[in-house]
Amino acid sequence: MPGIAIRKLNIWYGNTHALREINLDLPDGQITAIIGPSGCGKSTLLKSINRLLDLNEHVRITGQILIDGAAIYGKQVDVTEVRTQVGMLAQKPFPLPMSIYDNVAYGPRIHGLARGRQLAQLVTDSLKAARLWDEVGHRLKESAHKLSVGQQQRLCLARALAIQPAVLLCDESTASLDPIAARGIEELLSSLRQRYTLVMVTHDIEQARRLADYVVFMWLGEVVEHGPAAAFFQHPQHSLSQAYLAREIG
Amino acid sequence: MRRKQWRKLEEGCFIWLMRLALLIAVVGLGSILFTITSRGWAALSWEMVSQPPSAGFYLGGGGGILHALLGSLYLATGATLLALLIAVPVVLYINTYGRGSKTAEMVRLVLNILWGMPSIVFGVFILGLLLALGLRTSLLAGTIALALVIVPILARTFDEVVRLVPHELSETTLALGTTRLELSIMLLRQTMPGLLAGLFLAFERALGDGAAVLFTAGFTSSMPSSLFQPVASLPLVIFFQLATPFPEVQARAYAAALILTAIVLTFGMLGYFFLHHVGKHVIR
Repeated sequence: MPGIAIRKLNIWYGNTHALREINLDLPDGQITAIIGPSGCGKSTLLKSINRLLDLNEHVRITGQILIDGAAIYGKQVDVTEVRTQVGMLAQKPFPLPMSIYDNVAYGPRIHGLARGRQLAQLVTDSLKAARLWDEVGHRLKESAHKLSVGQQQRLCLARALAIQPAVLLCDESTASLDPIAARGIEELLSSLRQRYTLVMVTHDIEQARRLADYVVFMWLGEVVEHGPAAAFFQHPQHSLSQAYLAREIG
Repeated sequence: MRRKQWRKLEEGCFIWLMRLALLIAVVGLGSILFTITSRGWAALSWEMVSQPPSAGFYLGGGGGILHALLGSLYLATGATLLALLIAVPVVLYINTYGRGSKTAEMVRLVLNILWGMPSIVFGVFILGLLLALGLRTSLLAGTIALALVIVPILARTFDEVVRLVPHELSETTLALGTTRLELSIMLLRQTMPGLLAGLFLAFERALGDGAAVLFTAGFTSSMPSSLFQPVASLPLVIFFQLATPFPEVQARAYAAALILTAIVLTFGMLGYFFLHHVGKHVIR
């Protein structure tokens, strides 16, 4: 499992300096939670790891991100390769306009990962890993949009896992779910920590406390404090971190 | 209290204005249908749609307008397919590779201008080309002229449909490591009902346009045996029959208009059906 190294990362949206001099080493095989108040740059940092920020026309990025030692920014880098290596689970589940089966099979198909029976097995395994197989195994040809929101989010997770990424990014992936579905996704992410390097953005301090092995606290586009979750939650060093955990700010 | 009464009066006035506008639209369509039906119904016959014109058709002779009916369908089908080949790649390009670029905005501006351009201008343009190349009016020239008329309609309609696709679909698709071409195919999959509805809209426009084919497709009483022969069309058949001084021929013009309207309405309803009922997996 690869670690993620972020070096001197600066991001601008037009004239707005959204991220300032970010230097981080995110541990491999663990869950890193990026926390902080709204607008502090959490999602910007997350989306810079799979280069989804490239979709924004007015964005400018300097610095570098290294995954397993390989730079992901640069003219020679194939962005589709980066995104294959770094899967993503968005805030709102968004199934593709396809059947349940095809949603999961789509990624492996376009990347040529599997065909025929192998593909069917990969779909089954991914749905089982996302704990959705028991609910949809008998109706794979149905439209993915017929699933409940919680099921859709697990389908999106199965779809992300099916391309066999090394890193999984989660952008407030439980924010649009009801508490039961959210807890289900949390348990699922927790069970995946041994197999993937997980980076999650969350507003929910308690969720970060439950899930995270490592925490990055951000404030106004800067990393204020980062370190092992236990140490961060028990003895936050910076006054802003202390105030945030005490819910005095944010 | 006064303010409250004024707001109620304001709302009441606007409701009635909207109802009036709706009434004008419905009465307008109803009047058109009533006029062409009342004047053309008697002249409508199976012979009219199943036979080509006999000698002296425009002087009250026998026969029908099969040549123009099929001619219009050939022209409109050819033009729609040609427009599809141009419009779809343009729209997918400006929404994927060129998204947010100045090129995309320029393309939209040009398409908007072309949409507003009278169709006879396209006809004159193609006529100029035909003269320069020493060619004569033909099914092919008419098809190209009509395609030019409907490309902006199809492209802008399809573009608006693509722009309505939630941004999350693009983000989700690209996050799986797809290329922009694969994203384009995904967008096409999602927007297929809208594209089909746009195709029918463009087809209807091509079917009913007389100005673009006036100088380009020519006119004939027979069916074309190749793309390079002139072809008759329904709008021109209506025009030529109405221009005669004979009441029975004029009645046939109204009957032809009724047929044209029926075809346009049928395709309009098909477009509506496709928009709402096609695409099992489409996100609605």
